[in-house]
Amino acid sequence: MFKKLVFLFVLALFSVPTFVSIAQEPQGLPVDVPREEMFVIDQIFRYGVAGNYNIWQTAGTTPHRHAMMDETLWYIDQETGERVYGAAISDPMYNDDFTQMTVELRQGLEWSDGVPFTAADVVYTVETLKATPELGQSGWHAQFNQFVDTVEATDDYTVVFNLLESNPRFHNLFETRWNGVYIMPKHIVENVEGDLGTWTNPEPVVLGNYIPTQFDPNGFWELYERRENWETSVAGTVIGNPGPQYVLTIFYGDSSRKAIAMSRGELDVYFDADIEAFETTLDTTPTARSWYADFPWAYPNEVSTRQLAFDFETQPLFQDVKVRWALALSLNIVELQTEYIGGVAKVTPLPVPATPSLTAIYLDPMQEWFENLEIDLGDGTMYKPYDSTVPDQIAAWAEAQGYTVPGEPADVFGPGWWKFDLEAAETLLTNAGFSRDGGGNWLTPDGEPFTIDLQSPPDENDAFRMANAAADMWSDFGIDVNLQGLERAVWDQNYFVGQVEVYTPWMNFALASGDAWPEVRGDHPRYYVPNGEDVRPAGGNAFFQGQRLQDPQIGEYIDAMAAITPSDPANVETATEFFKYWTENLYAITVISFKKFVTWDERYWTGFPTAENPDRMPLYWFQAGKFTIQALAPIN
Amino acid sequence: MLTTLRDLLRFSPSFRLGSIILLLAAILVILSFFSPYEPDDRRAVERNVAPSIEYWFGTTSQGQDVFWMLTFAVRNTLIVAGIAVSIGRGIGVILGMISGYLGGVVDRILSSIVDSIIVIPRLPLLILIATIMRGQMTIVALGLLIGILDWAYPSKRYRSQVLSLRERSFTHTAVFSGMNAWKIVIQEHLPFIIPFLLADVVSGFLFAIGIEVTLSILGLSDLDTQTIGSMIYWGNYYQSLLTNRVWVLLAPIGASIVVVVGFYLVSIGLSEYLDPRKRLARLRVKE
Amino acid sequence: MTLLRQYILPRIVQWFVVIFVGISITFLIPRLSPVNPVDNALGRLTSFQTMDPEASQQMRATLLDLYGLDGSIVDQYLNFWGRLIKGDLGPSFQSFPTPVMQIIGAGIGWTIGLLGTSILISWTLGLILGSLAGYFSNTWWAKLLERVVITIYPVPYYILAFILLMLFTYYWPLFPLVGGSRGEPAFTWEFISSVLYFGFLPALSLVIGGTAFRFIMAKALASTEMTSDYVQYADLAAVPKRKILFFYVIRNTMLPQVTDLALSLGALFEGALITEVVFGYPGVGYTLYNAINSGDYNIIMGITLLSIVGIATASLLVDLIYPFLDPRVRLR
Repeated sequence: MFKKLVFLFVLALFSVPTFVSIAQEPQGLPVDVPREEMFVIDQIFRYGVAGNYNIWQTAGTTPHRHAMMDETLWYIDQETGERVYGAAISDPMYNDDFTQMTVELRQGLEWSDGVPFTAADVVYTVETLKATPELGQSGWHAQFNQFVDTVEATDDYTVVFNLLESNPRFHNLFETRWNGVYIMPKHIVENVEGDLGTWTNPEPVVLGNYIPTQFDPNGFWELYERRENWETSVAGTVIGNPGPQYVLTIFYGDSSRKAIAMSRGELDVYFDADIEAFETTLDTTPTARSWYADFPWAYPNEVSTRQLAFDFETQPLFQDVKVRWALALSLNIVELQTEYIGGVAKVTPLPVPATPSLTAIYLDPMQEWFENLEIDLGDGTMYKPYDSTVPDQIAAWAEAQGYTVPGEPADVFGPGWWKFDLEAAETLLTNAGFSRDGGGNWLTPDGEPFTIDLQSPPDENDAFRMANAAADMWSDFGIDVNLQGLERAVWDQNYFVGQVEVYTPWMNFALASGDAWPEVRGDHPRYYVPNGEDVRPAGGNAFFQGQRLQDPQIGEYIDAMAAITPSDPANVETATEFFKYWTENLYAITVISFKKFVTWDERYWTGFPTAENPDRMPLYWFQAGKFTIQALAPIN
Repeated sequence: MLTTLRDLLRFSPSFRLGSIILLLAAILVILSFFSPYEPDDRRAVERNVAPSIEYWFGTTSQGQDVFWMLTFAVRNTLIVAGIAVSIGRGIGVILGMISGYLGGVVDRILSSIVDSIIVIPRLPLLILIATIMRGQMTIVALGLLIGILDWAYPSKRYRSQVLSLRERSFTHTAVFSGMNAWKIVIQEHLPFIIPFLLADVVSGFLFAIGIEVTLSILGLSDLDTQTIGSMIYWGNYYQSLLTNRVWVLLAPIGASIVVVVGFYLVSIGLSEYLDPRKRLARLRVKE
Repeated sequence: MTLLRQYILPRIVQWFVVIFVGISITFLIPRLSPVNPVDNALGRLTSFQTMDPEASQQMRATLLDLYGLDGSIVDQYLNFWGRLIKGDLGPSFQSFPTPVMQIIGAGIGWTIGLLGTSILISWTLGLILGSLAGYFSNTWWAKLLERVVITIYPVPYYILAFILLMLFTYYWPLFPLVGGSRGEPAFTWEFISSVLYFGFLPALSLVIGGTAFRFIMAKALASTEMTSDYVQYADLAAVPKRKILFFYVIRNTMLPQVTDLALSLGALFEGALITEVVFGYPGVGYTLYNAINSGDYNIIMGITLLSIVGIATASLLVDLIYPFLDPRVRLR
């Protein structure tokens, strides 16, 4: 009797999974759509507002919807730095004093229900957003009230914005890096009964090419279907290719789960993974690849950079520029970029990433200045810290590993970085009043052991590994470094209120177009907040203001840039001057550009941009990612 | 005392095995004081080496020797669990027994307090507190925290255990024959409570280790102190399963199993020894 | 009548007190956390692109107003009870303006289904197997079972779940990685079987962990009970072993077991946080975890409220049915 019971139990334990999985033919996708008609993309977050398509609300996280459903006037492609016309067909045209902006709209566009798109839609969007505080998406409501006096359609395809004050960058609101003002279907929204703040747009009519048809109430996934009149959508017109019939965005979770999903053929592209998971993908999924077909694989041109940033108030010793330079010169960038990062990201001495467009605008023209830059070691000795052979050294490492470097080392690994020169670092620290104790460890001018509390969130892979490298190298140099890996929410809080000495933020000083002011305006010292208080309520850039840096000179550069139009050559010149000032002071140690293991599987779809075929950015999660998806073709 | 130990080792196979296992754990703990590396050393040895004669349990992706890491991890995890269990079970046993024996108003008040604490979900509360503490979470703090949050359930269990004992016929017999209340508790009831307590202590250890691992996985404990949880966290972080470097995870998992199994076996042996009737039954078998 | 006045009524008053205290504590604690929902929402908006700092300050004010967080903590507390009495838990901040009720509604069914089923299965299995093993402690299968169980039991739950996930989604890709079902909910075989299919692995992990725990408790209780005089008498009286076990031993060890079952059923409203995170299973545990990370007080409150009421009620019910389960428990 009991033996039978146990036997039955064991039997059930094995038969039930077998039975269930046979009945289901192992297939883990949550929708019933033919696999070869569906492109499955890695959803970067869970949707916060599942089933609510009123994307103009002060909404929670809505990844990918902006690329799938929504249109704005212009897109900046981060790979090429070029402006792509979206719903507009002209550049923004300003009057002489930048108080009026005129835009010509693309003709022949239709909404997904066949109604033509006209200037009335744009005017209605601006007026509605301006009038409705509940529609707080991306702060457009606040910014329209700040800048826009009136907006009018002078004909069906021309819109004129009359501004309250001179603003040469008003068009930035309609031009993407991440997103731009989503244009509303006037014929739908004006007929909404009740409060727009709570309307959920249950049956979205879209200007983008995809209509959401199914969703997970818990926000794990959303299924989109291509609209029938795709030829009259923006991406359809620009690319001229229908794109996949269905697109599924799905949230798998961490790197390992994405790698597993791809090996199972249940994910066509993931936006990033750590290098271990990426290497697993290469092993398990022969049809998968990233930007480069081979080493260094990853997409290196997302527009941002990573820093080791100082909090100048927790540790006032950082206020001495000699200490900052000593810390930079005691980092071995070649070892950091290879042993810790895997050789797959570009190095950069500036908070400007070494993308092709920004290299051409800033890094290349500044190369000579970098090479001639001299710093004072503190005793009057002038020293040249820059090393332009860094990319060659990395290339030599790569070749020693048996890799082929796909191009000029400087194009693949960045322009150059600071020398690894412990002697110079030693001189700098000594001249800053530091000394070594008997064990070779550094003592501060007060005779206390020199310790650095370095904090970094492990889930930000490159930042954390960069922090590991810094901790190891500074320790070798004789500094007592305490590296803390902190959960992200915790880490965020610590630099918000200044409970950190060195942290690993990302900073970016220029848009892909080369315009610097929109990226640095939040770095103005007027948004300075002292240590102990949260930096965010002041409104500045939290990553930057976490440094508690008070240098009025920075404010003067930023004010000067604000007054120049982005197209004026003086704009780049002023920005360059600012970058030189920043570099001489080395207020934060910029280490590497962003890289992403944007990896796709060519099992079902082809046509994703690659290094051999760099027509556009592969960053499908930005609003301009719509073009990337639109260009896909089935593999057979 | 020594005789008891000798008897236990001689007659209880589970106690014997359990003691050997715990002895192993103790040796690991002692070894941690003789480690050739500092606990937070990275790049101390070659990275990603599989277990070998030189590195018994292999090395990690950060260049640490897994064996020596494990000695620190077992020590620290035992500290966390030990603190948590002594606090949690201490409070739990006392409150549970007071409430069960005294009954009436005292029971009602204590039960209300216990119930108010019980209803608050523990793991979310721990996560919240860990977030509030923002990286100031040392292992001692963690142990205290787990202990403070883990006494309500045990106390409720002890109370119901006591309630059930109180209604047993032998209690009534003892009461009618004029036995002193303390005597009843100590002579008649404790032999029943202690096996329960021992099983409960083991599950308390397990709970504490589990919570320690869980908070580490969520990145909320002190990730830079070697514990079983933080070893698992870093093993996962460097994808040791995907990349087939399983030894990094096997060591902490194995250690957590070994330690708890050791405690479990010892607790079985002890409770059999303490239960007078069971001991008789066993002796009869031996004869 | 005395029963009602002396036992039941105070117990019900206690129920109210417990819930009130529990809710007040959970109202307060998240507000001590430095993670606050307004700055969190702003951070989300500005993490990919910079926003005009003046505009972001204006937005801050608007959000404080919309979220109902601009008053003092006392005002917020009073408001909270005012709304709660009307059955309104307010909007989620993270998913503004979605009502908390709707968000919990989306997850609670999954959680109850998954946890309820696996708790019941593991409770029954553990109780029966544990009592069997305790009763027949000298047979080979009881020893084997015990050895297996005590090896599985100490494995931290996360590890167990993670190993199952890797085994059955990667090395042997039989089960799905994420989600609760396929397609739109409908009363069809396709949908129902997909719920079973998607829920299998998470349920298995919970059942294994839960059974091991219950097994050990049941075995400990049964082997204590085994030595009771009545069992010996029954044995001498040649009562069939099966009958002794099921009618006397198990029944007598039920009291603490039922308490535990009721409490764990009551606790299921807080969800299986780790299970849901590991298996990407939609449920309130995962939602709660996200809410804690983003300072979404209203969601934290909503879910803990359910959990508090759930456990308090379960424990009330247990106390009320105690006398029926074990007639030896007399009122004092």
